[in-house]
Amino acid sequence: MSELLTALGMVFSWDVILVVLGASLFGLFIGAIPGLSATMATALLVPLTFFMDPLPAVASIVAATAMAIVAGDIPGALLRIPGTPASAAYTEEAYQMGQKGFLGQALGVNLLCSATGGLIGVAVLAGFAPLIAEFALSFTSDEYFWLALLGLSCAVLVSGGVPLKGALSMLLGLMISMVGMDAVSGQVRFTFGVSELIGGISILPVLIGLFAVTEILRRLPEIGRDVIPQVPEVGNPFRGACSLMWKYKGGVMRGGLLGTVIGALPGAGADIASWVGYALARRFSRTPEKFGTGHPEGLVAASSANNAALAGAYVPALVFGIPGDTITAIIIGVLMMKGITPGPDVFTTDSTLVMAIFLVFLLANLLLLPLGLLAVKSTRHLLALPTSVLYPLILLFCIVGAYAANNSLLDVGLMLVLGLLAYVMTENGFPIGPMILAVILGPVVESNFMRSMIKSNGDLSMLFDRPIAMALGALALLVWGSIILGSVRSAFNQRKNGSGDGKPGVCTQ
Amino acid sequence: MRINDWFLGLLLAALGIAALVAAQAFPNIPRQEYGAGTFPAIIGSLMTALGSLLVLSGCRQHLPLFSWHGKVSLSRSLACFAAVIAFILAYLLLTPLLGFPIVVPVLLALMIGWLSGGRWVMAVSVAAVMSAMVWLAFAELLHVPLPLGVLEEVIY
Repeated sequence: MSELLTALGMVFSWDVILVVLGASLFGLFIGAIPGLSATMATALLVPLTFFMDPLPAVASIVAATAMAIVAGDIPGALLRIPGTPASAAYTEEAYQMGQKGFLGQALGVNLLCSATGGLIGVAVLAGFAPLIAEFALSFTSDEYFWLALLGLSCAVLVSGGVPLKGALSMLLGLMISMVGMDAVSGQVRFTFGVSELIGGISILPVLIGLFAVTEILRRLPEIGRDVIPQVPEVGNPFRGACSLMWKYKGGVMRGGLLGTVIGALPGAGADIASWVGYALARRFSRTPEKFGTGHPEGLVAASSANNAALAGAYVPALVFGIPGDTITAIIIGVLMMKGITPGPDVFTTDSTLVMAIFLVFLLANLLLLPLGLLAVKSTRHLLALPTSVLYPLILLFCIVGAYAANNSLLDVGLMLVLGLLAYVMTENGFPIGPMILAVILGPVVESNFMRSMIKSNGDLSMLFDRPIAMALGALALLVWGSIILGSVRSAFNQRKNGSGDGKPGVCTQ
Repeated sequence: MRINDWFLGLLLAALGIAALVAAQAFPNIPRQEYGAGTFPAIIGSLMTALGSLLVLSGCRQHLPLFSWHGKVSLSRSLACFAAVIAFILAYLLLTPLLGFPIVVPVLLALMIGWLSGGRWVMAVSVAAVMSAMVWLAFAELLHVPLPLGVLEEVIY
């Protein structure tokens, strides 16, 4: 009880509240502008979190991402342009509702379901994470090795596109993670004589390069090409929305729980949760033929699923230090910069911080309603902002942000190189998600493998010696097996069709 | 921008071989078969193998080495890439010499002016205000030592 009171005191201090409000507004801004994603909001926020205490740092990211996902629904309903990829699944549905004269209701249902889905996710996170953490306390380096490997394999499996390209993207990420001094042997690797690289490539330029610079490179040529149409007037979004949500309460619950589980899978984030939520709602619906014509059933399930996924992703991130999506990969990086290594020990050593993080989630999801209303009212102005001004400013933030962590111009150069690399990769069907997860998980896989080998005197069979390790190992090998099978099948299909995939990759989140 | 898979596969396989060769130079942990070279060797081998697979699948596609499928013309896209690269390179090379307060407003104004199709008055005023705000936020509030360049001598 005293822990809860201390956590409440931590959350309801003026600096945390101010940070949550500021970050929510920032998330609202980024989410409402088509082309700027929740992951980009996080990448741009990280340089600022560097100067904060751990709780406000995490709070800012939690608040900004939850708000960005909600704000991303708004241009979708108004103009049929999804603000973030997580809204793309039900953009058509929300837009069609607007065309039928239910624009306010579509946005109101979006807001209410997002907040409810988020709260379901928080409830699952707060209920299950400590239990799993207690179980995970007995884990040794063997289990962590398999868990991290499982995380990497899932990331490749769910990244979409050709598994071969997902695996290559992951290997590139692992290569980036190997630069610098090896944590176990102290050997300096791949620094090419640059002393600044001995500590490894800092996570910040990698994040900003992969998620912000790449997007600028993709979007800049489109400036002035698309004319944003006139934004229609929106009535009171909450009129009739509550009764509509009550009508589909089963869909909301199902979407929320499904989103949480999908979010907890390594590599799968809010956008995949929203697609799966929509597809399942259609499958279980009594009126599947109405989907795509402005029917709220799919909208309800998918918009609660994507916000629930945000919280679900924190389960493996906090309990095992294995990120569930790109955003939690960033959170782990931020916590590590603060000297906190996420894992089951955090639940005993920093239990008040963990509880405070759960409370921050609660607060951020409750704030979605008033701030979401503000977002609905201000989208007209946000969409009128000239992108010719916006993108150069974001580029400046990228440069200063990449520089800020280590005060190093080398980091700015690395950001540019990685941005160009990620651009070429996404344009050619390589997903970026596995790469960023590999940058974070690379050292976890390697150091746990080396520890296990030192303990077992180099005996590889010891990795399967304990029952949980054996189960995790079998699962990891199973996932790798399905990836290889998928690669072979896609290669076979390709030969049959006589052409390549030809589909540009989609950046997760 | 679509580059043929065989070319990308070749690059990745070459990178894998380079990692594999470099890994041989790292010593093992005493009395162990494993060491700092183990992971680079595994990753290098996997990258070589998967890169080669990509080469094979690329060869079967019978597509040109380079093709452009963007919604925007190639020349416009290339101009934008060049602008972003030039912006960052100019920042890297010029701010240590001339300082953030001189270089950034000029770079921002040039880029905004070009992208907005010559609305220079707006570009210059936005650039000046936003540069000042970024300076205030990062240099004054967060104490990030943004380069002052020649201005250091003027101020101190």
